[in-house]
Amino acid sequence: MVAELDIHARGLSKSFGALKAVDGITLQVERGECYGMLGPNGAGKTTAIRMIHGAVRPDGGELSVLGRDAAAGSRRIREEMGVVPQEDTLDNELSVYNNMWVFANYFGISRRRSRDRIEELLDFVQLRDKWGEQIKNLSGGMKRRLLIARALIHRPRLLILDEPTTGLDPQARHLVWQRLRELKSGGLTILLTTHYMEEAAQLCDRIGVMAQGRVLVEGPPAELVRERVGEEVIELRGAGREAAAAALNGLGLEIERAGDTLYLYCRSGAKAVERLASAGEREFLRRPASLEDLFLRLTGRELRE
Amino acid sequence: MIAAGMVPSRRALRVWLRHLVQYRSFYVAEWAGNFGEHVLYLLAFGYGLGRLVPSLNGISYAQFIGPGLVVSIAMWTSTFESTYGAYNRMRVQKTYEAMMSAPLSLGDIVLGDLLWCGTRAIIGATLMMIVLSLFGLIGSLWWALSVLPIIFLVGLMFGSLGLVSAGLAPSFSFFSFHFSLVVMPMFFFAETLFPLRGLPDGLRLFSQTLPLTHAVKIVRGLIIFGRVDDFLFHLFILAGSTLVFMACATISVSRRMMS
Repeated sequence: MVAELDIHARGLSKSFGALKAVDGITLQVERGECYGMLGPNGAGKTTAIRMIHGAVRPDGGELSVLGRDAAAGSRRIREEMGVVPQEDTLDNELSVYNNMWVFANYFGISRRRSRDRIEELLDFVQLRDKWGEQIKNLSGGMKRRLLIARALIHRPRLLILDEPTTGLDPQARHLVWQRLRELKSGGLTILLTTHYMEEAAQLCDRIGVMAQGRVLVEGPPAELVRERVGEEVIELRGAGREAAAAALNGLGLEIERAGDTLYLYCRSGAKAVERLASAGEREFLRRPASLEDLFLRLTGRELRE
Repeated sequence: MIAAGMVPSRRALRVWLRHLVQYRSFYVAEWAGNFGEHVLYLLAFGYGLGRLVPSLNGISYAQFIGPGLVVSIAMWTSTFESTYGAYNRMRVQKTYEAMMSAPLSLGDIVLGDLLWCGTRAIIGATLMMIVLSLFGLIGSLWWALSVLPIIFLVGLMFGSLGLVSAGLAPSFSFFSFHFSLVVMPMFFFAETLFPLRGLPDGLRLFSQTLPLTHAVKIVRGLIIFGRVDDFLFHLFILAGSTLVFMACATISVSRRMMS
């Protein structure tokens, strides 16, 4: 049986002048799934999800969200979708509670009917005691939690988050992750973008790595790492690293050079470590392959600005 | 280019309500400030300057200028709300963006802002009329109340003009053009502060082309005499230009918000 798709994009593209921000991506997110979009700055993640939640009009391609054609049914879609934008769009001139009920009112939910829901949501994001606080007195982490609570006011079926934890301290980040996992187990479909590999690994059933407006690879994070990188990575950083690497010839390892470091990607590092030891090389680091290796291998190591 | 999202609906009232909620937090200070300001204006212009002005068709200068001040306050209030206020919501605080992630269209947001401009115009003009009545410058209370729909139209019109600029503005400083090219000429030459009779023909013609002139004629007629010559003509110009400006405002804001 084919699972129901909450997001279905085909050949979706968008240019700003000469810049192809999103260059024909295809994306399928199933109901109840958490899908993460990874990519360096400027890869087109934000433009892609802004098209999906209707803030940017696509130049081409097909897009259906929650079973509706995005161009035709945009308002109906927004009634069932919550959006947590990258930038803070809270109403700075209103208190925490007023932010919540004014937003509920945008959805046509009356003040009386929204009251219990607001209490429940402020509890959920641990902002109950900030009820009457002005927005300018909230920390960055509190604002982000409030944005999440606000996006849930109308019990959406799909939640879209653009870098939900960028700039948060570890405590706040873990709280957000925990809440998102709870929402997911409650059946909510989640689409998010992130720079944090740990975030993607912790939350996402599937990820897509984007660069230059295209999706390079897609799949479950652990599987992708295994297939594209391997099980283990050995980093050589010593002065004799090239000589040490030569000792590993014949093992069929993939070698990557970046700055002062050699990266060796392998199924198992055991044999390589043996050889390095007998060659007298001690300056190396053996560790499990991670999503970060996948990301850097796919999108390159140079800075993106 | 008229897109579906530009057509407003009843949901505009949800936007209007947001503005009202926000207004509740500062209206007391604002009313107190405005009240004092209005009294100062009236004393300075009506009685200070007015001593130098002979009676105009049997009414004092203070009587003459009162309705002019009522209309110009409606203009100033709705202009501030739709230029600095709307730009702040559009570009700085991203309030529009938040509204657009809810099921509100751009048309709803623009209309909600304009209804709010009309509301603020009514509040400002009412305060001014209270001051006028304290000085005995209102002919009849009922006729004074009858100007409120006209004031609301003035609020919609200057709200629309302000939103056109807010959509075009690259930064806050852009609005100094709006004030020197749109607001100030009307403030001075819409027969708000002095009658046009006896002025050069060119200036009188210019004044007739200003939509505010027609609002001033209606409001002055109603407040002082309880009747207006050529009422329907003035109303037609006022309502017609307001509708055109509202369409321009929607297009300007859409161009800014939809990429």
